Amino acid sequence: MSFLQLKNIEKFFGDHRAIKGVDLSIEKGEFIVFVGPSGCGKSTLLRLIAGLETIDGGNLLLDGKDITHAPSSKRDLAMVFQSYALYPHMTVAENMSFALKLAGEDKKVIKEKVEHAAEILNLTRYLERTPKALSGGQRQRVAIGRAIVRAPKVFLFDEPLSNLDAALRVQTRVEIAKLHRELGATTIYVTHDQVEAMTMADRVVVLRDGAIEQVGRPLELYDRPQNRFVAQFIGMPQMNMLPIGEFGSYAESLVRPLPVGGHIGVRPEHVTITNAGEGQLLATVDFVESLGAESLVYATTPHGVQVVSKQSVRSSVRAGDTVSLKFEQDWLHVFDADGQVVSNAKGVAK
Amino acid sequence: MDKTLLWVRTGAAWLVALLIFFPILWLGMTAFKTELQAISVPPKFFFTPTLENFIEVQSRSDYLLYAKNSLITSVASTLLGLLIAAPAAYSMAFFQTRRTKDLLVWMLSTKMMPAVGVLIPVYVVYQQFQLLDTRLGLTIIFTMSNLPIMVWMLYSYFKDIPREILEAARMDGATLYDEFRHVILPLGIGGLASTALLCLVLSWNESFWSLNLSSAKAGTLATLIASYSSPEGLFWAKLSAASLMAIAPIIVFGWFCQKQLVQGLTFGAVK
Ligand SMILES: Nc1ncnc2c1ncn2[C@@H]1O[C@H](COP(=O)(O)OP(=O)(O)O)[C@@H](O)[C@H]1O
Ligand SMILES: [Mg+2]
Repeated sequence: MSFLQLKNIEKFFGDHRAIKGVDLSIEKGEFIVFVGPSGCGKSTLLRLIAGLETIDGGNLLLDGKDITHAPSSKRDLAMVFQSYALYPHMTVAENMSFALKLAGEDKKVIKEKVEHAAEILNLTRYLERTPKALSGGQRQRVAIGRAIVRAPKVFLFDEPLSNLDAALRVQTRVEIAKLHRELGATTIYVTHDQVEAMTMADRVVVLRDGAIEQVGRPLELYDRPQNRFVAQFIGMPQMNMLPIGEFGSYAESLVRPLPVGGHIGVRPEHVTITNAGEGQLLATVDFVESLGAESLVYATTPHGVQVVSKQSVRSSVRAGDTVSLKFEQDWLHVFDADGQVVSNAKGVAK
Repeated sequence: MDKTLLWVRTGAAWLVALLIFFPILWLGMTAFKTELQAISVPPKFFFTPTLENFIEVQSRSDYLLYAKNSLITSVASTLLGLLIAAPAAYSMAFFQTRRTKDLLVWMLSTKMMPAVGVLIPVYVVYQQFQLLDTRLGLTIIFTMSNLPIMVWMLYSYFKDIPREILEAARMDGATLYDEFRHVILPLGIGGLASTALLCLVLSWNESFWSLNLSSAKAGTLATLIASYSSPEGLFWAKLSAASLMAIAPIIVFGWFCQKQLVQGLTFGAVK
């Protein structure tokens, strides 16, 4: 049986159904990332698990025990908040030892644990400072330290990196991943940043409008998206999505029967620009982004659909040129009118 | 040019301060005059001070009894008020609903009603429950009349405490009591102190209810002052002496707590 189990979890804010019957099983030691656009319910779902919001329907099981209605203080979970939420009137050491103190842990043991955590997080020199006297990155580490001294059953992170600058974000991302490998603690991590999701997760949970769209390993989501939403949410630049009608008779060679009103999706790296006659679609180049190692060509088809092509060679095309787009046949995903996948790219299996 | 402006401003500030302070200064001076000097026209600015009035006031009425009543009722009503207002403000600040704002405004709006409008009902209730001229009765009415302000003040202080800090405490295993003891109290101590001080001052100075609901036994210093503006004739000097004795403790107290009081009166708006 799974370590943490969400069974048909529901949440209403007034009439607004914020979480719509979420089912999810998480194994011990897994690093799970909740990802999705802003407002999709990631934080709400995390806060339901934390006990900071009341669960309106369904059950939550942790380690075999039903904790659906248990108060936060009794769940033995630790959370790292986006704003860090450090206790401003306590020193770093007091911040990190607060939970242990409440639990009535022995003073000497507390001291040892705090010092150990401080060492791991490079905070030893700052133990006697208050949060005010720390930089953003240091506060972030204190927040993490506060969580790890407790050795909780599950770590919960809500967009912990969004208040850091870009360089520090990458560094902390790596540190959190490393910490997870060392501690092996079950972790749920919320982010809207798909790069964080792809690089840190054992499994990614893609959410939209309070419901799960797909759960899977990062590359599985990239290779085998189950619907148009996941296909376009994962990957940068996003997957091209063309109405099947665009392709005329060519589409018939791909799937039978053709899903009426469906779409064909293809990632930018599988669209190449060729001489007229060799490709499947004509398009007008809008603009070209040259990034050095690769270039992105943005073009528009006669029906007004924008297509992006990613090329690892420097492209000689210019805005205004008419080009022919060649779609690699093995790398086409077909979706039906409801946006559900009909077939994923054959290329993946090879 | 700049210097002149500075002088003008400083002068104006002093003028306003003096204008506001003048009645108290005059009161202080009159308290040390004889009754004759007190009503002389034109008023006397220079005179030989006398303590006669104070001795007279003390011998006619027991100052210490009134002072004790004032102290007990204002401290008790402040404590009782905090006990009720703090949990109320806590739930309004951290578990807000759609109607919280309306409730707050409604509570404050009760302060806009003239107290005399409910004098008769309150009086009758107090009579029935034998609360007239008791310190308990005064404590209750002081608490009631201060509660809206206390809740509003504490609410605005508590609202400044980020909710996530409380949530972090809950995640750390804090019970409601721990949360209050280890997070709200240390972070909100300034607000709690300001609120308590303001209520202490308001209760001490309260006169309408003390005059109407108490007399000899539970009377506060406000009733002591009033007893010297009696129909038997005006005794300016003694009235002033009694007033000075009544307000002296709170002025000294206020002087030491200036900072907190100002902070309290700005309702946490200025930081
Ligand atoms: N306390 C709340 N009261 C009312 N609506 C809320 C509350 N918290 C979140 N919501 C709504 O629930 C939805 C999901 O919010 P949230 O979980 O914060 O999204 P995310 O973290 O994915 O950006 C949003 O539409 C948001 O407006
Ligand atoms: Mg969020």
